[in-house]
Amino acid sequence: MEVTLLLEATENAFRIMEDARRHAMGLLDTAVQFTAEETHYADRKKYEAIFSGAQRKKARFQNFIGTLMILFAFWILLSGRFDLFHLTLGAICCALVALLFHDLLFANVRVGDMRVVAARFIGYIPWLIRQIVTANLHVAALALRPKMPISPQVICYRTKLETDISCVTLANSITLTPGTITMDIQDGVYYVHALSRRVADDLNAGEMEDRVAHIFMEADHLYVQDVLDAARIYKALRM
Amino acid sequence: MIKDSGDVIVKTLARLLAPFIVAYALYVVMHGHHSPGGGFQGGVILAASFVLLAITHGVGMMRRKLSERVAEVLSSVGVLIYAGIGFLCIFLGGSYLDYGRLYRVFGGSEAEARSLGILGVEIGVALAVMAVMCTIFLAIYKVGEEDPRDGGRK
Repeated sequence: MEVTLLLEATENAFRIMEDARRHAMGLLDTAVQFTAEETHYADRKKYEAIFSGAQRKKARFQNFIGTLMILFAFWILLSGRFDLFHLTLGAICCALVALLFHDLLFANVRVGDMRVVAARFIGYIPWLIRQIVTANLHVAALALRPKMPISPQVICYRTKLETDISCVTLANSITLTPGTITMDIQDGVYYVHALSRRVADDLNAGEMEDRVAHIFMEADHLYVQDVLDAARIYKALRM
Repeated sequence: MIKDSGDVIVKTLARLLAPFIVAYALYVVMHGHHSPGGGFQGGVILAASFVLLAITHGVGMMRRKLSERVAEVLSSVGVLIYAGIGFLCIFLGGSYLDYGRLYRVFGGSEAEARSLGILGVEIGVALAVMAVMCTIFLAIYKVGEEDPRDGGRK
């Protein structure tokens, strides 16, 4: 008698638990559905905004404000007079220029956050200076050696950079580094003149390109730095 | 015919530099009365920025920013500002471009009126010089456009 009661109670408990599980599943399902609908709705709204031009208008306004701020900083740097009259003149002039040229400074900006790009760019400069110094020493050593063991060559390679600004940053970094000069970029192929074997090999290793790609967040590539970061995070998680 | 330059480096740097060149030109104009520079120099730098855009991004770009018609009107407006300030001084009892008399319009002391008057004249000169420079550039360009034998670069 008692055994049957116990069995019945266990069965009941299992049934209740099964019901609860089903309820919870149902709730989760509806939640997922709601979230999906919400994202879908937000996406549709975004696309509608893009098509109706509201997004473009917003982007234009942001470009205007950005250009205005940069130009005003430039003006203050030039002017050096801080009375109200000259500052007002500067604001008016910069607003005129920004109105006329708002589409130039930020054309072809691909993704995201300008602040991240700026921070990474500033971080890139010391590395570039170090490269320039070492390349300088290398070229000086080449020039001072009586045999002058140079082997001038033109390297062509296809770049993986996508936007014009990153291409230009890489090209000018190459030109700034002694021993290498960017001669031309045509359809994504760099033609670089290199003075010796070593600088050519350095260039072909592609570290500079990786770093430039990292600055401008050209997202669909794998960078050494990102992999290192990920490895550190992974290690921390496994601990 | 000047087409869109195919060179990525030249195009991008021109695009990035043009706003700063224009801002610098306006700085030269606006600070002309107490530092080197002035209307003519500023106007030439202004025109140079437009020409830079024209030879890198194609003349269409320049025309979008400053069409021939606007350039012609601006050149006249510049001369009008210059002559207007000059004649205003005559009407206020001075001689032509005697800025000191302008204190009756602007208020303030005679020295301040002189400073403001020179600034006004310089803005007029800059506008006229810029517009005329651009007009000359566009006129030369147009001749090449109409005559395909000319230089054979049509």
